[in-house]
Amino acid sequence: MSSNLVLTIALPLLGAFLLPVLMRSSVAIALWSGPVILIYGCWIIVELWLVGFTQPVSIAIGGFAPPLGINLYVDSLALLFAFAVQLLGLIFWPFTLDQESARRQSLMLLLVAASTGLALSGDLFNLYVFYELAAVATFGLASASGKSAAYVATLRYLILSGIGSVLTLFGIALIYSQTGTLNLAHLAQLAPQQLNNGLGLTAFLTILIGIGVKAELFPVNTWVPEIYATASTRLSAFLAGLLSKLAVLIILRLLLLIFHQPEAAQVILILGILGVVSGELAAWRAKEMKRMLAFSSIGQLGMIFIAMSLPDGQGMVAVIALALHHLIIKSGLFMLAEDWGGAIERLRGSAKASPLGAALFVLFSLSLVGMPPLPGFWAKFVLITELAGQVEPLYLLGLAVFLLATVVEASYLFRVAGILYGKPAAETLSEEIPKSQGLALVTASLFGAGLVATALWIAPVGDGLQAIATQAQDVDLYITTVSPAISGGSQ
Amino acid sequence: MANLTGLLFAGGLGFMLLSIASGLDFGAPPMLVGTEIQAHAPQQTGAANIVTSVVLGYRAIDTLGELSILFAAAVSAGLVLGRRHTTAGTQTKGGFILQNGGSLLFPLMMTIGFYIIFHGHLTPGGGFQGGVILAAAFFLPLLARPGAKLHHKSLSLIEGFAGASFVLIGLLAMLEGKAFLQPLMIQDTLGQLVSAGTLPLLYLAVGLKVGAELASLLSRLIQTEAPQ
Amino acid sequence: MIPAITPELILYVTAIGLIAIGLAGVVISSHLFRMVLALVIAEAGANLMLVLAGYRWDAVAPILTSLAEPPMMVDPVPQALVLTAIVIGVGIQALAVSILIRIRQRYATLDRNKAAERMDAEIAATLGASRDISQEAPLGERPLPPLPADQVNMRGDAS
Repeated sequence: MSSNLVLTIALPLLGAFLLPVLMRSSVAIALWSGPVILIYGCWIIVELWLVGFTQPVSIAIGGFAPPLGINLYVDSLALLFAFAVQLLGLIFWPFTLDQESARRQSLMLLLVAASTGLALSGDLFNLYVFYELAAVATFGLASASGKSAAYVATLRYLILSGIGSVLTLFGIALIYSQTGTLNLAHLAQLAPQQLNNGLGLTAFLTILIGIGVKAELFPVNTWVPEIYATASTRLSAFLAGLLSKLAVLIILRLLLLIFHQPEAAQVILILGILGVVSGELAAWRAKEMKRMLAFSSIGQLGMIFIAMSLPDGQGMVAVIALALHHLIIKSGLFMLAEDWGGAIERLRGSAKASPLGAALFVLFSLSLVGMPPLPGFWAKFVLITELAGQVEPLYLLGLAVFLLATVVEASYLFRVAGILYGKPAAETLSEEIPKSQGLALVTASLFGAGLVATALWIAPVGDGLQAIATQAQDVDLYITTVSPAISGGSQ
Repeated sequence: MANLTGLLFAGGLGFMLLSIASGLDFGAPPMLVGTEIQAHAPQQTGAANIVTSVVLGYRAIDTLGELSILFAAAVSAGLVLGRRHTTAGTQTKGGFILQNGGSLLFPLMMTIGFYIIFHGHLTPGGGFQGGVILAAAFFLPLLARPGAKLHHKSLSLIEGFAGASFVLIGLLAMLEGKAFLQPLMIQDTLGQLVSAGTLPLLYLAVGLKVGAELASLLSRLIQTEAPQ
Repeated sequence: MIPAITPELILYVTAIGLIAIGLAGVVISSHLFRMVLALVIAEAGANLMLVLAGYRWDAVAPILTSLAEPPMMVDPVPQALVLTAIVIGVGIQALAVSILIRIRQRYATLDRNKAAERMDAEIAATLGASRDISQEAPLGERPLPPLPADQVNMRGDAS
């Protein structure tokens, strides 16, 4: 039943509140409660898919019809991301067992609940609350590694995130002062008359900077290399792979539903181009694996922003394809970086010690660069064709930057692959060469298998993404699903 | 130089935001959602304080998120601050007035805190405000006697069960076939202490959770001082 | 071209002024705790801006005091929003202070630039890569160990 979807948010919260208490009484039950909750969350969504999910659904929380109450808007895009959240939460679950594991697992459950809320919510302030919950849970998990550098990195991220949330609150205040409502569907109805002016653009810019902190938008992405280098690899994989995409999803919904001004798209295009340039160049100069992956992440998200800025939703399929592709690739690459983190020079000859790991790295690199028949090629191809069909010079600049960035990516990724397959330096003993092994390697192979499966069944996957994109673009469908006749105030 | 650019940036931003804000119609907001809520809140939630019916009724899931954020912050602070040092007992205690004043004020502040929590649906106040007062009731005795032991275990139990009961009350509505966090048991007694169904219970859970959380957070902060 | 001093001008100048002062403070400050305090000020400004969105002239608080027809009341929704925003802010500030305590313990400094240097040095050391050679130490340098507590004076510098 679709109203059960609220449980995907409520049950992780319940588990998070009870975990510290449970851990004191029965460690065995406490350790299993988190994964069980996440498996049940996955099951709720799979069950919904099995009975057939074609039309979007709106779930009114508390029984209060929107726009008075808050609603969850569930279309295929939201459901896909909600499922990805529960699944990746399970894959990246902190399985360590020490004195602080109750707290760590509590924070992970809160992060999963917040991310699911980000994917499903249909109310502007509710999105802000879940965004802040995800931020605080990230602060806790990032500083949990105990390294002194992690504390400084977390504080800098906290302050940047705080600035962002101040600006977001200001933007929400502007929107509420002008329109009197916070419901996304209601705002979509009112936007053409009331938000199509300077006030609407200012509100969009402030909210963009605020949410852009997590979406690794230029220029508020300075926290990315520091946090990815000091936090645990599993957390970095979850952040880079999933949480950044959820922030991108929020900006996408705002752009599609409410802010149709061309200036809004132009700002996103410019920031996307700057992000690609700064990210890929920095990745090329990076000498450490995790920093390289962090900067590469910034570059890839810049590409997604370029795709998002295409007018009339032409870039929707590209956005979704690039986002999902990056989710799989980055998670896999970070899992490989768990053992291979550190100076890239140290990895000379690692291919001999762990052939599967090196092969996976080459596979991910090829798909990231866009080699056919891997999914990365298909996603980039869609974007290139859409960009090439534009007349405005800014889009053509975006296309040029995109192609250049692909070349730069190929250069630094294959440089690493060359080092992996190269001969080790003469004095190094074979025990000193890092091997990729254990659970991290298994997880990376899982993502590799997912990538290969997508490549084999690319046609049905492509059709599915096309259907999801068409449904997500349909603003009228959004409005009529949430409320057939939105009860506006007495105007 | 950097200071000057920072000031100019902030000044420019402020001026720009001000010019945008001057376009707003202050004092005459559109009130689309507001008027509807004001018209229907007493029947749908039964609370005389309309802000409470918004916080615990119409926007209950925001309150749940807010509760979780406070919980996440407290848990993260616990993770960051680590184990409690027992050397805090070497800190100087407060004098006679501080110690006894603290002990005197403790029951008074607890009473005020609970009063504000219980009347959250009738007068301004509620769970968060009352919870902070409950936590503040612990502050003065803690500052007066830094080495005093706080019952962290029972506080953590209260915190956990209070938070869980908020979610469980919400789930209870689902068991009855209604939506998550739908207000239940609405009586017909607007303006009296026993009214608004599950809303005062939700606020009680919120108040206990916030109070226990902030009290143990403060005691942990005090006890992390580097021994000198 | 001086605008008329109306109540709404004063209110908006206060709210936006607080935000601007807070943001300027974060950018300019060299001490981490001052940055956190500036953030607190900016959050207060944003909350004020949100509350102002619900005000109506000559209206009373949205609390029903009798069963008679209620007079004109202010918008209750921004008040609920600000309640949430204040609590969120308090949670983040408490966490920031805890992290500051830890940084002070580990690095013995709360200066923004020094802490950033120590962090970069530590990241480079643990990741085992070659750091960029800095101007002050052309031959490279081992990262500094944390100073013992008794050698640190109250301002957070080494004595």
